[in-house]
Amino acid sequence: MISDRLKNIICKELNLDPASIEITDETQAPEVPGWDSLNHANIIVAIEKDYGVRFKGLEVLKCNNVGALQRLVDSKTAK
Amino acid sequence: MIDFSTLQGNTLWERWQYFAQTTPDKEAIIHWRAAEEPIRWTYASLVKTANKFSVYLKNIGVKKGDVCAIIIRHNPFFYPLYLGITGIGALPSVLAYPNPRLHPEKFREGLEGMAQRSGLDWILTETALEEIILPFVKNEKTTVNELFFPLEWDLEREISADTMEKINEIRAAIKPEEPMLLQHSSGTTGLQKPVVLSHHAILRHVENFGKAIMLSEKDKVVSWLPLYHDMGLIAAYHVPLASGVPTIQIDPFEWVLAPILLFLAASEEKATLAWLPNFAYNLMADKLSDEEMEGISLESLRMITNCSEPVRAESHQKFFDRFKKFGFKENALAAMYAMAETTLTVSQTTPGIRATELSVNRDLLSNGKLELTDDDSKKRVCVSSGKLIDECELKIVDDTRNKLGNNGVGEIAVKSISMFSGYRNYPEKTAEVLDDEGWYYTGDVGFMHNDEVYVIGRKKDIIIVAGNNIYPEDVEDIVSKVENVIPGRVIAFGEYDPELGTEQVSVVAETKLENKKDFDKLRVDILRAGMNINVNIHSVYLVPPRWLIKSSSGKPSRKANKTRILNGNDEQVWSKK
Repeated sequence: MISDRLKNIICKELNLDPASIEITDETQAPEVPGWDSLNHANIIVAIEKDYGVRFKGLEVLKCNNVGALQRLVDSKTAK
Repeated sequence: MIDFSTLQGNTLWERWQYFAQTTPDKEAIIHWRAAEEPIRWTYASLVKTANKFSVYLKNIGVKKGDVCAIIIRHNPFFYPLYLGITGIGALPSVLAYPNPRLHPEKFREGLEGMAQRSGLDWILTETALEEIILPFVKNEKTTVNELFFPLEWDLEREISADTMEKINEIRAAIKPEEPMLLQHSSGTTGLQKPVVLSHHAILRHVENFGKAIMLSEKDKVVSWLPLYHDMGLIAAYHVPLASGVPTIQIDPFEWVLAPILLFLAASEEKATLAWLPNFAYNLMADKLSDEEMEGISLESLRMITNCSEPVRAESHQKFFDRFKKFGFKENALAAMYAMAETTLTVSQTTPGIRATELSVNRDLLSNGKLELTDDDSKKRVCVSSGKLIDECELKIVDDTRNKLGNNGVGEIAVKSISMFSGYRNYPEKTAEVLDDEGWYYTGDVGFMHNDEVYVIGRKKDIIIVAGNNIYPEDVEDIVSKVENVIPGRVIAFGEYDPELGTEQVSVVAETKLENKKDFDKLRVDILRAGMNINVNIHSVYLVPPRWLIKSSSGKPSRKANKTRILNGNDEQVWSKK
């Protein structure tokens, strides 16, 4: 399940109001307004910074939705 | 260096066949996949499989001169299919695989517009796209005969001698001056301009460009560039394939999520040549950590050529500073000036020498005058796109297309042996840009200095985002239809983002709404409208009715309103980036 923290980081980076945007485990990047290939790198960097973790490109590549991204964050923070 | 005079073949097929016969085991294409073993095509295996595709295509009714659109995502059988189409005298035309962001209806509309203009006869795609594309093929207005799924074809069957003989007869009748491929001068789907190039034009370009980059048998290309884009298709695919140089092909969708893939492939395969649009220099320098770069060496790369959007000096420096400790050489920073209409390259910087940078007076430059300066407060650093390649001419002209003298700043016009003969089925557009003497007026603005070409901007309003051309009209049309936007009272323009090293799309829209909460919602609606046509709108500026300045034609002026927005300090403007 997507944490509020992850959702807020994504929304902050894209200047979206978290209350008006639905982001679930199944949400894919192209469904979120503003989340394109150029912004993708910024979102990943923002997540890394907020959680104090580092992702490898190939790890991110395997994430096909936000749920997978959350699991990657969780695995890095050993939650 | 390759001695092009010794290479045989007057058509592309003959050239590929020549390599398959003389160097059958030489690697032609290395199909790269993230975290998997690459698939390696030799010239012999590539041509053998291409023969099978040629037979299938002939059997389903594809004829010489037919245009075959290929819509296939990164797949190892794309390459022999492409060759197989050429092998029966038909024209391959690579189209972009639909991004999930693009609304299926918009994708179909784009295809429809393109099919009518380009005269697409067949669509070769994947079964996954059947549902999206089929309604378009069944539409009465379509030019397309049928939809096929070549990746499902049985390629195990051997070809009989009799069948092969018939295919060879077709091949023998293909003449060098006949059309070989159809590529689209990049742009938003509805407004792409189809460019047809002959075997002769491409082979001359392979030689002239190959000489300009001192292409040698030791070279190896690495590329993540999409093959529907001229830089990917010509520089990283046709040129190496017709020169006997291997090319490593990476999935563009994968690269954008994991930019390290380019360097991983370059390091493992010891690649020597790559082409990148300017934004990729910033993206890679910013994104790739030391941890990810561990074990990677960039020493083999002798040239990375910047092209497809304005070349920025700061992007080159940033890239060099970031990657020098991994063996990247300063003199590998190259640049070129290119376009689909001249097959590709017009000018190229000299191999082994970093692209020259010139500090010029910014204000004078914007008034069409060239003056060098060292004054930091006044200077704009322009990066050279190098010297003209052989059999290519260039002149700088004023607004009435009169040639300007030395150091003149104006529109760039070019003439080349590898020139297109006009946009297909688009005589009015052709007449606008091509004159009777064969000069193509590019719409780009620049100057020549010490025999080198400098491109500084565009005459037209096209927005270039990460190497992709976006027509503001497309964005304005879609945003005009958003509820609470006053129809027709919208402008779109490009805003340079120095961090990303590319332009981003900005929109100014008039609305009668007045409170901030409504503005927030309208902004998201506008962003979603852009997503439907696969355009990411970065900045939305909302303004009250009658705010936009009109041009003499009565439409809102992009230039005047862009200046007004960027000047800032207008309390009537609401924005969020």
